[in-house]
Amino acid sequence: MTDIRENWIFAEKSINKINSATFQLITKMKSISEIPVTVVLLESQADSFENEIKQYGPDKILTVKDDELDKADDVSVASALSGLIDKFGTPISFIFAATTFGRSVAPRLQAKLLTGLTADCLDLSFEDDLLVQTKPSYGDNIMCEIVIPDFKPQMATVRPNIFKAEKVFDDTTKIVEINDLNWDKDANIQITTHVLPAKTDENLATADRIVALGRGGKQDLNNANELANKINATVGVTRPLTDMDEFDQSQQIGQSGETVAPDLLINLGVSGSVQFTAGIENANTIVSVNTDKHAPIFKQSDYCFNGSSEDFLKALNKVL
Amino acid sequence: MKIVVGLKQVPETTNVKINEKTKNIDRRGVSGVINKYDRNALQTALDIRDVVGGTVIAMSMGPNDFAVSLQEALSLGADEAVLLSDRAFGGADTLATGYVLAEAIKKIGGVDLVIMGQQSVDADTGQMGPIVAEMLGISQVTYADEIQPKSDNELRIKRYDDNIEQEIIAKTPLMLTTTGNAGKPEYVNVVEIKNSFEKPLTTWTSKDMPVDSNRLGQSGSPTVVRRIMSPEPKERAGKMLSTDATKAAEELAGILHEENLLAEED
Amino acid sequence: MDQLKTREEILLRMVKSFTENEVAPFDSEIDQTRSYVNNLLEKVHDAGFYSLVTPEEYGGAGFDGRTSAKVLNILAKGNASIAVTLEGHYKSVEQIVKYGNDKLKAKYLPQSADRIIAFPMTEPTGGSNPMGINSHAEKHGDSWIINGDKIMITNGGLAEIYCAMVKTAPTELSFFVVDQDMDGFEFGKQEKFLGLTGCPIGEILMDNIEVDEYHLLGKVGMGPEIGNSAHDDARVLMGAVLTGIMEHQLDIVSEYATQRKAMDTPIIELQTIQRKVADMTIAKETTKLLYQQAAIMKDSGQDYEQEAAMAKAHGSRAAVKSGDDALQILGGYGYSLEYPVEHLIRDARAMELAEGSVEKMRTEIALIEAKSRV
Ligand SMILES: Cc1cc2nc3c(=O)[nH]c(=O)nc-3n(C[C@@H](O)[C@H](O)[C@H](O)COP(=O)(O)OP(=O)(O)OC[C@H]3O[C@@H](n4cnc5c(N)ncnc54)[C@H](O)[C@@H]3O)c2cc1C
Ligand SMILES: Cc1cc2nc3c(=O)[nH]c(=O)nc-3n(C[C@H](O)[C@H](O)[C@H](O)COP(=O)(O)OP(=O)(O)OC[C@H]3O[C@@H](n4cnc5c(N)ncnc54)[C@H](O)[C@@H]3O)c2cc1C
Repeated sequence: MTDIRENWIFAEKSINKINSATFQLITKMKSISEIPVTVVLLESQADSFENEIKQYGPDKILTVKDDELDKADDVSVASALSGLIDKFGTPISFIFAATTFGRSVAPRLQAKLLTGLTADCLDLSFEDDLLVQTKPSYGDNIMCEIVIPDFKPQMATVRPNIFKAEKVFDDTTKIVEINDLNWDKDANIQITTHVLPAKTDENLATADRIVALGRGGKQDLNNANELANKINATVGVTRPLTDMDEFDQSQQIGQSGETVAPDLLINLGVSGSVQFTAGIENANTIVSVNTDKHAPIFKQSDYCFNGSSEDFLKALNKVL
Repeated sequence: MKIVVGLKQVPETTNVKINEKTKNIDRRGVSGVINKYDRNALQTALDIRDVVGGTVIAMSMGPNDFAVSLQEALSLGADEAVLLSDRAFGGADTLATGYVLAEAIKKIGGVDLVIMGQQSVDADTGQMGPIVAEMLGISQVTYADEIQPKSDNELRIKRYDDNIEQEIIAKTPLMLTTTGNAGKPEYVNVVEIKNSFEKPLTTWTSKDMPVDSNRLGQSGSPTVVRRIMSPEPKERAGKMLSTDATKAAEELAGILHEENLLAEED
Repeated sequence: MDQLKTREEILLRMVKSFTENEVAPFDSEIDQTRSYVNNLLEKVHDAGFYSLVTPEEYGGAGFDGRTSAKVLNILAKGNASIAVTLEGHYKSVEQIVKYGNDKLKAKYLPQSADRIIAFPMTEPTGGSNPMGINSHAEKHGDSWIINGDKIMITNGGLAEIYCAMVKTAPTELSFFVVDQDMDGFEFGKQEKFLGLTGCPIGEILMDNIEVDEYHLLGKVGMGPEIGNSAHDDARVLMGAVLTGIMEHQLDIVSEYATQRKAMDTPIIELQTIQRKVADMTIAKETTKLLYQQAAIMKDSGQDYEQEAAMAKAHGSRAAVKSGDDALQILGGYGYSLEYPVEHLIRDARAMELAEGSVEKMRTEIALIEAKSRV
């Protein structure tokens, strides 16, 4: 098999759209290497997701138009991807989003190609053609730097939402359409339902976004609810608010309540007692609003607004 | 059904640190346990066996002390256990580990179903299931949340993931990997432990399987761990936004967009 | 593979995860509601804990003294009451194994897998002084008629089988095994105790209970020996429970002292706090060494009376003191009923009384020591 000087990225689809992790990967790969970036897209005849992908400026998109591959199982997709490599050559790297699908197809392909794969990377860089992959292990307590010196493609899955996606406005992406790819269909797997997940219950412990109200924010409940609706967040409270009729114990964050780990936590009128902050250490980004410039919560926050929660909520609801 | 369950012994806590002197992972005082997702895999296998009949074989590749975890699997109800242990297997990455597991499953022969945990909690890769499935040339369903036997050679499987919910009907031979929702792992019964020693636990080395020595251990591993590090401790920047509410809201909205912190519109 | 070592390791892995998932999260609730919430007892039973020390030939797991003590050490770190419930059962099973005749063993040891056995000695008129008791048994042909009331029985009301100490003559003490299903058996009231509130402690009333001769433990007059033996076994296990309580205290204190700040430094950096944490650590470790030493001596057939007494005499005061230090480190929160520190003091305090008061144990320790030297 011939080697080609390209980095490949697999375009992952959720239902009826491209997963934004794909765009993030395009931007990242372009920023760390001069090697041309090729996106591999499997879609039905009727779709044209290449137009969306193009906006992020990959050098090339290989579009396989095949209705049967559109919602195919892991085995069929891995077979199609290895078919593409047979056809076009072996790229320097082949990167997937570390989603359920990416983490299932990539190792299957790895075993076909007998190369290395690093899972769930948090960072990527190049030393010449060597892809340096940083991955967490032991539940993110240890970081490992992993390389695949002697095999190609160097494969990795990358955790979504670590990198930023940036659109570019030059229209130089080359689109190659493939209509005659051979791949093996897996006849043993029959996907009988394939739908968007039903909205899950509001559950603080698993929520991705939380708006938390404290004693200083309780009068702004309506504005807070509006914000929560806008950004699809769950509402949590400090303990004193659980005495109010509007809230119950299950909404309490903290040591004697829930431990939360959202991507985004917005605290409104929360002072930042140890019992509260014990429950928020694993939040990714914390924004806090407080009228007291010296409120302890500010020491535990990434972004702080010193002012009233009412003013802040009204302004934020307007811009979002 | 003949079912093989892959089990990995992992440290009882993932709260480990790097030893400043040796630059290695400090495992002082940390003993081993069965990887938690593998408990779901084992329970799923036992539940299926109890409905359709058959045998459950627990299998692990690793040093001799992994035998304790296999014995534990026998105490939990597995019928047989196989330990794959050989100096030549040491230092294997996922590809080289998968190769040995696949060869051992071939040696057992006639296996209908292989079940593994969705990932191990130490290496956190989740690659073993798909790799072994590919090497065996069988179908796969990963991250399975609910599994029910439909007939002697068919399973009905549900997976719910952040993006897509699926129901799948899968025919054997098949590889399944299980999430923490699959099966309800039970506790080892205090009295059953001793009875488990009446069940067979065999050890196979590289000589017991027709393996290519170039594909074993470190030499069969394409990945190289160059360095291990402690993660940067998370310091909260405490950046003050503008004191003007409108300006602050605009600043924050920009940051939230840039950092992908807002929900994607569905 | 060393089979015994492997058996122990598999067991302890299970006990750890059982404690983490089923026991520790309910510790405060157990204390406050004075009951084993969330079906804890049923889960303990289903996992086979009741059979831990019952010999294999009677369907048990047959684990030795060292292992059973370690099991209670781990469980007690989650909740001391449930560990004491099992301690009461295990020491009773062990006395039936040691002193029961074949017929008695064949009847009750298999049942020990499902039914808790308790060991009533104390009465209103006799605690530390066993000759003060009034319960008595009279021989009628091939059977015995038993009368009398027992109080403050660990698992009283919960247990279904009781090894009761009675007088078979004015100065003669003997043990009989009675069953809650026998005519004349009744439960009395439950004690309202300060600590170990999850563990039922209660009375039984025996009114003309008739038992066959084989229900006699050992021989007539062996009461003092059997009572002492039960104390020894219980004290080893209580040393383990106390160690678990101190480990729990250290967990709470360590988390708090590394997070709580005074003038921007965590309070664990302060020498006064370090002094307390160091003392707590030493207290925990010495108690652990004492109970493990006693258990090893017991398993190897040596005399362990003095070692068992030291484990409990030292451990109980050490755990109360260590709890007091923990309370102080947590400041006002430590004194709050909402933090689990205060109930750990109450729990530990029980063990300065139960299974022999520390005063009586000190007498034993002193006399054994002095006699061995002259
Ligand atoms: C800190 C660390 C980081 C690593 N990072 C990488 C990496 O990025 N890429 C790479 O190729 N290798 C990596 N390795 C090495 C790799 O060797 C794996 O640990 C090993 O191959 C097993 O795979 P896994 O733990 O990832 O299992 P996973 O694929 O996560 O495990 C899934 C399931 O497979 C089964 N299984 C896994 N291992 C065994 C076994 N030995 N015996 C039986 N069943 C088993 C279990 O059911 C398990 O739950 C890393 C190792 C460590 C310790
Ligand atoms: C055993 C125990 C367990 C506990 N567990 C928990 C727990 O799990 N969770 C929990 O939350 N608490 C818990 N607490 C209570 C905790 O100690 C605090 O009392 C509580 O967190 C304070 O809540 P707060 O921040 O809402 O209120 P306060 O401390 O009263 O803070 C209100 C804040 O709002 C600010 N403010 C006022 N007006 C405005 C305005 N208009 N706009 C913006 N800001 C304004 C003020 O400056 C102040 O900082 C526990 C306490 C104990 C003793």
